[in-house]
Amino acid sequence: MADTHVLIFAEAALHREAWRALLSGQPGIRLAGVASDLAAVTSLPAGQPGAVLVDQSPPRPDLVRRLKASVSDCGLLLLVNTYDLGEVIPLLQAGATGCISRDSPVGDLARGIIAAGRGEIVLPPAIAGRALAALARGESVGEPGAGSVADLVEPLSDREAEVLRLLAQGLTNKDMAQTLILSVRTVEAHLRSIYGKLGARSRTEAALWAVKHGHGLPE
Amino acid sequence: MGANLANHASHDDQRTRVAVVGTLAEFHREPIPYNLGALVRLVSELRPDLLCLDLTPEQWQGRDFDGLPPEYREALLPLSHQTDIVVVPIAGQHPPAEPTAGGWRGRAIAVLRRWLAYLQRTAPNPAAVVEGPRHHLADLLYELVAWLAGGDTYRAWKAHTDHLGRQVLEAARRDPGRRILVAVNLRHCHHIRPVLQQAPEIQVVPYNRL
Repeated sequence: MADTHVLIFAEAALHREAWRALLSGQPGIRLAGVASDLAAVTSLPAGQPGAVLVDQSPPRPDLVRRLKASVSDCGLLLLVNTYDLGEVIPLLQAGATGCISRDSPVGDLARGIIAAGRGEIVLPPAIAGRALAALARGESVGEPGAGSVADLVEPLSDREAEVLRLLAQGLTNKDMAQTLILSVRTVEAHLRSIYGKLGARSRTEAALWAVKHGHGLPE
Repeated sequence: MGANLANHASHDDQRTRVAVVGTLAEFHREPIPYNLGALVRLVSELRPDLLCLDLTPEQWQGRDFDGLPPEYREALLPLSHQTDIVVVPIAGQHPPAEPTAGGWRGRAIAVLRRWLAYLQRTAPNPAAVVEGPRHHLADLLYELVAWLAGGDTYRAWKAHTDHLGRQVLEAARRDPGRRILVAVNLRHCHHIRPVLQQAPEIQVVPYNRL
């Protein structure tokens, strides 16, 4: 498991330094730089998980779009004051990977950065499920090939169906792994297989497909 | 010959690698001379896929960590929370209480526990408890403590250790080919390792070769 390279995007110099001090030395995270504006945003190392932590209050979808265009391979994690769906959904639609509350403990922030670096949706599960449901209703993301479970050329295994259910509930890979008491690498392997069977091009596509087909409902 | 070696190495690569490290965590009221950050760094560098800990599923699900030793509460659990390390709670429903006895046996147990506490207190770093003479001496003292406490207590602890071993095996079989670190009180190490070594799909390794 490679370290996640993180770039801090914050307009205030004091905030940038505070984030730098807080995140330096956190296990699994490597600080790649800080930026105060778009011009200063640099590419993160290729082939390594990367994330941009965005400290802007309130976070704006237009900034997210432009950041996404600059660092398309990286996860974008935005700091928010509250998990207001009215604020969160436009950010996700603009390309944000997730949002994390400013009240979160540093451990949650660190694991959120790692998850965002892998392109996972970072939100508390209760909010993530509702956000995915809202996004699925909005149909703003491409549809995977399969129309329903019955249309799948190769059916999902029991374990894959379980992983898909947790994906639709908005859990990160680590949360899924901890729920199933499996390693993160095993969950990732199941996800790759699920994407292939669904014909999904991304995690979000697979998650939205699962929500639309009722896989996100608790057992 | 070369091909055989290559095949052997390839076979080893597919086996689940398990390292069992012992702690003297029960002496959590004793001042620990080394910084717990050293233990965090050690495990953080190992980056196991699964971390088997001697806590009950109820403690884990309820996040009831108050009664746990600082090695768990302040080092391993926070580390696993913010990294990809997945915690596997391997204790049974009712872990046995610490061995006690009346009369001269009780006094002897108290003396032996003071020696154990001394071993913890004077350990210069986590590795000194995880392996080496201090580790083996502490294991012997624990055996004596359990023996002095009587047959029922000895059997209860044996059953607990057996349960831990079975749970590690189950975790390894559920998720084959992964890297597993088991961090338990050192009294269990010498019993868990042979159990794991009997499983052909598992390779028991020293922690620094995980």
